[in-house]
Amino acid sequence: MSAIADQTIPHPATSNAVVRVTSLTKRYGSLTAVDDLSFSLEPGTITGFLGPNGAGKSTTLRMLLGLAEPTSGEAHVFGGPYRQLDEPARRVGAVLENNDMHPGRSGRNHLRILALAAGVSKRRVEEVLELGSLTGVAKRLVGTYSFGMRRRLGLAAALLGDPQLLILDEPGNGLDPKGMHWLRSFLRRFADEGGTVLISSHVLAEVAQTVDRVLIILGGRIVTGIGIGELAARGQTLEDVYLSVTSTEAS
Amino acid sequence: MSWRLLRAEFLKQRSTRTNLELLGAMVGLIALIVYVHGVQLPVERLATRTAQLIVLGQGRMIGTLFGAILGGLSITGEFRHGTIRPTFVVTPKRGRVLLVKVVVGALFGVAFGLIAAAAAVGVGGAALAQRGVVLSLDGNDYALLLAGTAAGAGLWAAIGTGLGAVVRNQVPLLIGICIWLLFVESLLFEDLGLKKIAGISDIGRFLPGTLAKEAAGLGDQTLLAPGAAVLGLAVYAVAAAAIGWMAIRARDVP
Repeated sequence: MSAIADQTIPHPATSNAVVRVTSLTKRYGSLTAVDDLSFSLEPGTITGFLGPNGAGKSTTLRMLLGLAEPTSGEAHVFGGPYRQLDEPARRVGAVLENNDMHPGRSGRNHLRILALAAGVSKRRVEEVLELGSLTGVAKRLVGTYSFGMRRRLGLAAALLGDPQLLILDEPGNGLDPKGMHWLRSFLRRFADEGGTVLISSHVLAEVAQTVDRVLIILGGRIVTGIGIGELAARGQTLEDVYLSVTSTEAS
Repeated sequence: MSWRLLRAEFLKQRSTRTNLELLGAMVGLIALIVYVHGVQLPVERLATRTAQLIVLGQGRMIGTLFGAILGGLSITGEFRHGTIRPTFVVTPKRGRVLLVKVVVGALFGVAFGLIAAAAAVGVGGAALAQRGVVLSLDGNDYALLLAGTAAGAGLWAAIGTGLGAVVRNQVPLLIGICIWLLFVESLLFEDLGLKKIAGISDIGRFLPGTLAKEAAGLGDQTLLAPGAAVLGLAVYAVAAAAIGWMAIRARDVP
């Protein structure tokens, strides 16, 4: 492990953490997908969760959202396991995969179903449609949407309950430059107002421009946690660090 | 049970064309089967009440089958399209999601059963009248046919939902339901006469497909009263929902 990693692995013991992951481990048979992972997220920050495919990013996000159970350790949001949250949609918004939608259902009905389950008004559905520039196509079936439109619909769904924490798996995937710019400024505003964001990605350039801090995960372990400002002060780029830690670990 | 989850599930069921397409396929299939029976059987055989019940009761089997498919699709469809993830992220209490699916599935199943029975009675009655056969069924027969088919399809929809939560994968579930209802219970048990073998008949009359048949007054009359058959089927529905709940509560969502 590199010297940078030793100094900057984030400490999980902070008091007002929105997300606190402690010794989180997930095994599938003999495969260890997530290995003794610990980190925490403070309010008002955007954290990039980086790593190659299969590094354990999505598994970690699924455990944070209560979709998968940890083998051991804890994945807490707002002080407890996700599945014990009251009104989770009002606290956490998530976009996991691009195709979590029925192709034969309209965009508006996709949102209205989630809004009904979350106890969110119809008016809010129209607001998030507007936010995602989807009002004009809201009646159309999701199956006719472009990749970028489905992406924006997923984000619109995550925002329905006006959450304080956003968990986004590869959110920039499929967005055009305009959409990407919109997402960046939206996330910045969200964090400036006290919201917390965790974005997983493997597109370094996109992350470097958006996040305050990165966690690099490899083989289910965090190998580096570093602030973007710190990188600039050292005269390094995110790519330098990423390549150095991933090649060190791999060798 | 949560009112808002019920409304969400109703909108889920209404907002795609799946159920309409299922309904169309069911009514078409029933019309075809009943018409063929009504046209093919000799007039003298059609004169008896028993034969008329067989023709006009063809909606029962198809109604049960489509009820089960409808219930199974309500949950396996979510796994297939990935909507199970946003569903459980918004409502992490998975037992509530499943309970609402069982209830809404059963209500849609009842509607499918009523339409199935009515379609068979309508097409069958018309086919027999066309051939000059006087119908000898009374009001009780029709009432039992409608109510029993509706109850059977509704409870089988609940069974399908519970099993869907265990199997998760659409194709094996639908094949399994078809094999059970059409092959195991209908062909082996009924048509090939497995039920006549001593010992097997005692088990056979409590099988869930047979119970759905008895519920509509279409069984051997000697097996179980329709009310008891509905109760027996309800036990299966509760058991399937409970197994589904155990499976969905603990297992990871892909």
